[in-house]
Amino acid sequence: MINITDQQNLLLNVARKLPKKITVYAVGGTAMMFHGFKDVTLDIDLVFTSEEDRMAFKLIAEELEYKRYDHKLVYGTKSNPPLMLRRGKGDEEERFDLFTVDVIDFVFSEEMMKRSKNTYEFDHSLILKIADPHDIILMKCATERVKDKDDARQIINNYKINWQIIIDEALNQIKLGRTKAIWYLTGFVTDVKKIGGNIPSDVLPKLYQLLEKQGNTKN
Amino acid sequence: MKIADLTQKLEGIYTLESIMTTLKVDRSTAMNYTSKLRKQGFVKTKRTSSGKRIYNISRQNKIGGKSYYEVLNQISPIKLSESETYKVYGRDITYEETLVYAIKTGKLRVVLSSLALFKHINNWTQLSELARKNGVQRQVCALYDLGRSVMKVRKIGKQFLKTCLPKADDTYLYIIPNLESKDFIEIQQKWKVYLPFNKGDLQEYLQK
Repeated sequence: MINITDQQNLLLNVARKLPKKITVYAVGGTAMMFHGFKDVTLDIDLVFTSEEDRMAFKLIAEELEYKRYDHKLVYGTKSNPPLMLRRGKGDEEERFDLFTVDVIDFVFSEEMMKRSKNTYEFDHSLILKIADPHDIILMKCATERVKDKDDARQIINNYKINWQIIIDEALNQIKLGRTKAIWYLTGFVTDVKKIGGNIPSDVLPKLYQLLEKQGNTKN
Repeated sequence: MKIADLTQKLEGIYTLESIMTTLKVDRSTAMNYTSKLRKQGFVKTKRTSSGKRIYNISRQNKIGGKSYYEVLNQISPIKLSESETYKVYGRDITYEETLVYAIKTGKLRVVLSSLALFKHINNWTQLSELARKNGVQRQVCALYDLGRSVMKVRKIGKQFLKTCLPKADDTYLYIIPNLESKDFIEIQQKWKVYLPFNKGDLQEYLQK
């Protein structure tokens, strides 16, 4: 687990070694920490806009003694898994999950990039943009790891969510070729509701309606 | 009460009295909570002219770093509230980059606030380089001349001025889209840049 101060020092260390300026998007636990939703995280989830940037980051992380980790142990056989790097064990374990635009069955879309308004610049070379809370929920829906539903519940219960943004983005994902976006979102929202997420009563019916519409279009 | 609940309930600007009202607690409990939050890094405190403490309680405070808005608020008579977060870690923000940032925001009040930077900027080489990279050389020079007309500023490097002069075929540029000054025609013509301020907008600088 890594706290906010250690995470900042780590990112600063990486930034000081980077050979060029790169922009990266924080999603998941890291983004939640920057928004103040949680104090510690196990994995630092980052989305890069190019493979070249991801490789530059990976090389620096390896210099800092992060070792490759098998993505199947966390993500199973899901598509578009991240490049995973790990350091330490047990409570001391810290992990980088490095994605390039595609995050499992979702795309970190241009709209999501535009919504990532909070920016943190480390030294001169690492520009970290923080995903909007709405998009963090969608990314949690994409990765669906053990604690993701719990994290999503925490955001939903502590932030004024505009569900239309989430639904519109799911529709946008369909346009981008991720045809199962609404399907996954509906399942995820149902599960989050079961564990105490404050989901407004009109959200799930709306999602089911969209699913039905999508199904009918196919026929 | 847990720290997480406290930060959630108290996110914002408070006096001790408003904390007491919000949490429905007595004075000593409110002070105790404030102290706990401060120890965790969630509180920034300011004193009013009458000595009263004002608390800015935010989870963002714990994250640290320094923003361009904070630099501007330190030196400018025009104070800004942060509408977006842009924080820098691991290095000091220079006045030169703050000026370029302010111009790039395209926000009237931020640009107005940035005029105060000309009292402090002295690395003209860095400013020239940053302005060139961001394509705002003429805007910087026009704002410099504007600043000079209302307050005492540091002397700009002659070389920098020379290289920024517009060419005959250059078109006029806006600092804020569609805003041009009725009062500073000469500066606008010299740099071929529309200034977004009239004399009345610069009152706070004139009073200093």
